[in-house]
Amino acid sequence: MNPPLLSTHGLVARYGDFQALYGIDFEIGAGEIVALIGANGAGKSTLLKALMGVLRVAPEMVRFEGRPVGGSQPHRMVSMGVAIVPEGRRLFTGMSVEDNLRVAIDNASTRRTGGWTLDRVLDFFPILREKRRTPVQSLSGGQQQMVAIGRALLNQPRVLLCDEISLGLAPKVVKEIYQSIPSISETGTAIVLVEQDVSLAQSASNRLYCMLEGRVTLSGRSAEITREAIGEAYFGGAHAVA
Amino acid sequence: MLWLDGLVQGILLGGLYAQYALGMALMFGVMRIVNISHGDLMILLALIGITVGASFTLGPWTVLALLVVIGAFLGWALQRAILNRVVGVDPLPSLIATFGLSVALQNAMLQIWSADTRSLRGGGIEQASFQLGPMFVGVLPVIVLITATVLTGGLDAVLRFSRFGRSLRASAADVEAAAMTGVNPKSIYAGATAIAVAILGFAAVFQSLRATVAPADGPFQLIYAFEAVIIGGMGSIWGAFIGAMVLGISQSLAFRFDPGFGILAGHLVFLIVLALRPQGILGRE
Repeated sequence: MNPPLLSTHGLVARYGDFQALYGIDFEIGAGEIVALIGANGAGKSTLLKALMGVLRVAPEMVRFEGRPVGGSQPHRMVSMGVAIVPEGRRLFTGMSVEDNLRVAIDNASTRRTGGWTLDRVLDFFPILREKRRTPVQSLSGGQQQMVAIGRALLNQPRVLLCDEISLGLAPKVVKEIYQSIPSISETGTAIVLVEQDVSLAQSASNRLYCMLEGRVTLSGRSAEITREAIGEAYFGGAHAVA
Repeated sequence: MLWLDGLVQGILLGGLYAQYALGMALMFGVMRIVNISHGDLMILLALIGITVGASFTLGPWTVLALLVVIGAFLGWALQRAILNRVVGVDPLPSLIATFGLSVALQNAMLQIWSADTRSLRGGGIEQASFQLGPMFVGVLPVIVLITATVLTGGLDAVLRFSRFGRSLRASAADVEAAAMTGVNPKSIYAGATAIAVAILGFAAVFQSLRATVAPADGPFQLIYAFEAVIIGGMGSIWGAFIGAMVLGISQSLAFRFDPGFGILAGHLVFLIVLALRPQGILGRE
């Protein structure tokens, strides 16, 4: 059997003295949509940072197609085929929409599996075509999120990490952005969704992991997991919902 | 007449200051790295150029080509060996590291070249001039101004339109986000510092053709470069050019008023701009 596209093996991570992750085993295969849910501080974003190489971890703890890649620098992860829509969007302030997207094109994964082009991204989010010369800081939150997603897609990822892409957006915009998820995964790109909205995460994903205090407390097929099981895993046994 | 001549001489002097300021605009204005050794690197290049030019009887343009290459290498090595270790949100570590480098460079240059002032022989180009209406204009200052304009336009275009320029602007805006978009900020920064110090190769040749250089001169050039960048506006390449012009013209006009007042007037104009328009002439809020 082929190894999973991206996986972690007993991943531990710490910020100074504070341990944020306690032995996470996670995996995602090509074309899969996997949701990561959990309360604030459960370690979801930390896990993405470790996958992206922003947080240094031991080589064996993160594997890409079975090869140990933990602790590789972020630009190395991008060239392997991992891209991220970071929390808070993190666009390049002072640069136009098009220049923000071009940075990703210039530095894309050499494998170019996604086949994303500037034109395809602008077709995907038509509003960005009108705004392509606008400095990103004068866009609305939803439009900025589209730039952040487009930028990650233009890295030609085989795995796309999405960190809280619904945060701070109007429900209508969240719906719009989530409607774009299936057509991204149709190209074979695996997608990791970190999401606060549990029912949104469940309905948009094939599988999900629930995290609590740096550990995975529940994982399985999204369609088969009950609300009760999620509630228990989300808050811990002591707070089990009725 | 006296004032028109002062204005023209000021613009020409501004051309030289622009060459000090461009590298500073790239490092301080765009990358937010404070390089205290900026002026000393220029003096080092000038002294190398003078020695190599005299030893091998090279013309000034050959020396120029050589210094640009040496400058690019020095800049690349400086970024790789020192600045990439201290670059970050906090500007203090780079300031301290380059302050130390500045002191070390000045003393090393004193040791090698002694405190004597030296200049580069240009084969007559230093004295050549032509008549423009009622006044005489030096050929060398005109070449300096044209070179500065071309360098400014070229650097601005590289930042705006090239792959390297986009990656550099992205790294300057958010270095972690740039890395997560596939940029290798350390190699981009090394390239940018190589460009910044390579431009000092131009400044080194022109400074040592029109005047003299000595190992302790660096800090003066550093101040002019800083002032030009701040007058023009942080992050703007043409801003640094305009800032250099403002500085050159103020010094030159004030010099006509009272020869002792020229340099001081430049500093005063800098302070006035800082008080009235702290973001600089072309700077955004």
